[in-house]
Amino acid sequence: MAEKVSNQSLLTWFLQRFSGIFLAFFLFTHINVNHFAHGKDLIDFALVHQRLSGSIYWKVYYLLFVPFCVFHALNGIWAILADYRPSGGFSIFSKVIFWVIGLILIVVGAMTLTNLF
Amino acid sequence: MSFNNMFKNAMVDTNRNKNIGMITYLFHRITGIGLVIYLIMHTYVLSSAISGEKSFNGRMGFVQSPFFAILEVLLIAGVFFHLLNGARITICDFAGLTKSHKAFFWIEAILFVAIMILTIILQIPKMQSGYYTGM
Repeated sequence: MAEKVSNQSLLTWFLQRFSGIFLAFFLFTHINVNHFAHGKDLIDFALVHQRLSGSIYWKVYYLLFVPFCVFHALNGIWAILADYRPSGGFSIFSKVIFWVIGLILIVVGAMTLTNLF
Repeated sequence: MSFNNMFKNAMVDTNRNKNIGMITYLFHRITGIGLVIYLIMHTYVLSSAISGEKSFNGRMGFVQSPFFAILEVLLIAGVFFHLLNGARITICDFAGLTKSHKAFFWIEAILFVAIMILTIILQIPKMQSGYYTGM
């Protein structure tokens, strides 16, 4: 039992690193394109739609970006909580909450993107 | 260790070990929690696209103003601290260079300052009046 728990922690630790490496590359592009490249021009629906509908690469990029972001965010918070050795009940409760929040964020994120495509 | 005292314990640990590793560890956690909160707000703002173009433009217009341009600098600082510190941890750990982590911290610090100077230069036009065009 103890071994199983430690293997799971190792897997989530590795996935945190893996998603982190991805996000580092994603975020350089995302911040440059959305925060810097437009200068004082207002970012609106037409502009985002024009970019996302123009290329399959942007669609794949953002559809990958959302789940990687959500996983890295919630797994990170889980790692912080796990550091303080929560009780069994709280541990299960928080895992359920994180799965619910995570799935909602991914579904809402994907719906948002498909509306912008 | 009591779960209720996690913030207090983090402060006590940092106070006991005032070194680069401990302080960056604390900042990595603080920026991490901040970015999760931002991710949820970001999803809320953008999800207005589900209700259509008008709703999206309304909410996007609200968050593009000189005030939010200043907040964006704080956001980008959080993102790049977390990104560069994460890169440092990953590189040091996977390449077996943990003994040189302090040297890598100074590389991180230089890159962070350079990125933030560039960010402030690029954000200054948005902080001036005339950026906000209305909803």
